[in-house]
Amino acid sequence: MDMKRSPEQQLIIDNVRRLIREEIRPLEADLDPDAFTLKPADYERLVAMVKDMGLYQMGVPTEYGGPGVDIITQTMVAEETSQHRAGLYAPAYEVFGASPPGQLYGGSDYLKERYLLPTMRGEKSGFFGLSEPSGGSDPARAIQTRAVRDGDSWVINGGKLWNSGADTADYGIVYVRTDPAAGRRGITAFVIDTDTPGFEVRRLVQVLRSHYTTELTFTDMRVPHENILGEEGGGFALANDQLSFNRIPYASACLGPAINANEIAIDWAKQRVTFGEPLANRQAIQWMLVDNELDIRSGRWAALDAADRAQRGDPFRFEASMAKILCSEGAGRTVDRSMQIMGGLGMSKDLPMERWYRELRIRRVGEGPNEVQRVVMARDILNVRSGS
Amino acid sequence: MRIRGDWVPWDPTIDFKLLPGAMGVFEIADEKRNTLYIGHAGGDDAFGLRGELYNVFGFPPGSDKWNWTHPHPGAYPAALRDQAHFYRFEVNHQYYSRWIEALTRYSEDFEELPPINNDPAIEQPPKLGRYHWKSEDAS
Repeated sequence: MDMKRSPEQQLIIDNVRRLIREEIRPLEADLDPDAFTLKPADYERLVAMVKDMGLYQMGVPTEYGGPGVDIITQTMVAEETSQHRAGLYAPAYEVFGASPPGQLYGGSDYLKERYLLPTMRGEKSGFFGLSEPSGGSDPARAIQTRAVRDGDSWVINGGKLWNSGADTADYGIVYVRTDPAAGRRGITAFVIDTDTPGFEVRRLVQVLRSHYTTELTFTDMRVPHENILGEEGGGFALANDQLSFNRIPYASACLGPAINANEIAIDWAKQRVTFGEPLANRQAIQWMLVDNELDIRSGRWAALDAADRAQRGDPFRFEASMAKILCSEGAGRTVDRSMQIMGGLGMSKDLPMERWYRELRIRRVGEGPNEVQRVVMARDILNVRSGS
Repeated sequence: MRIRGDWVPWDPTIDFKLLPGAMGVFEIADEKRNTLYIGHAGGDDAFGLRGELYNVFGFPPGSDKWNWTHPHPGAYPAALRDQAHFYRFEVNHQYYSRWIEALTRYSEDFEELPPINNDPAIEQPPKLGRYHWKSEDAS
């Protein structure tokens, strides 16, 4: 893999970095430490700026009128847009636009017209509903929400858990059991409107990060047959492909707070004097900073390697899992060490580190727990690969 | 989920040490227990819930001798102080998302924000979502 950035990639990175450092970070000084949105006027101004750069909704393919930025560049950008206080779960406060769920590109013309295109125009937003109270890591067995065919529609009963944004979304992609006897081939994806009778957000679930998630219930929720996404019974494969793909920028985004925390710790180590010498002169501190660098760089290389394979159309599930593990765990360790270097200041809300520390903890569970990623890798190692 | 707990009438003689200096969410009501305002004591609010409640209800005579003063006195509209009678609060480290949750619950039940939360001088919440169901006691 060629690690050198192309001139076009470098230009994009420079523009994104400038926007984060010169526009986003100064605005955060006036926001609550746990805020995840900008003031409306600031948001509108920055969205206009991003559109001028040609980077709005950068993952949208060119045939749909988007910039069509490739997965390698998206992975590099994810590392940049998360380099601010709210960056892990609200990268750049979404001024780069929320790209539509990738599954919709494979939907029927009707679904594209009704959901995909309005999402690209910023008129609608969607959520993703896979996990249930019965589990999320093993959806083929855990999904208990049932859909039963009734004429031209399906009647759905059950519920979903950990659905970020479902309370504000216009629609959701939910994975439902349509054939209880068919195992993973009995799971079907539906696109549901959130104003469908029977759809309820039972509660907003408070978690470690600043942004909540939701718990949903579906009671006799009637959904038209044409709202099936992909094939009936093809939901599991659809979810699996998309989750593996999303895992790459998800991994890379973990590095932003780690890089930021490391920078703050380096500056502090150079200026803070204890017992007559700067912290930077202490070997204990030097080793922490070196370990930070090791974690950041190994995560970056793993994420770019996975993106490179995905870009070339090669199998990348193994590499995506590896990137997810290295980035989420390495970034967590880096922020932890940086807080240790900062001392009491690192624990306070005067600095963003305590927020990153809480939010990075979620990344070891979100998008598939790291233990499941290790299972995925172990299967490959034992059955297919020799290790390289 | 609304903010839990019984309404407590404001007592200006309360020992301030009984009010937590922690982060959290609070709700203010008038004499008839109608909610006027749902707020939060956040990470950059000095003195946490204690400071915010005093700032809403006003500091009693003699408080100038206390060993702390609010850095932003009068941050809330006078209309809130004039009507405020009851309060309740919840210490919660996730004050920001809990604040949004409480506002969402209220706006779903009553189809509007609490009256003082609509004041432009007050921090406006991000876009609120919908539950698609009302609380049993919502009017």
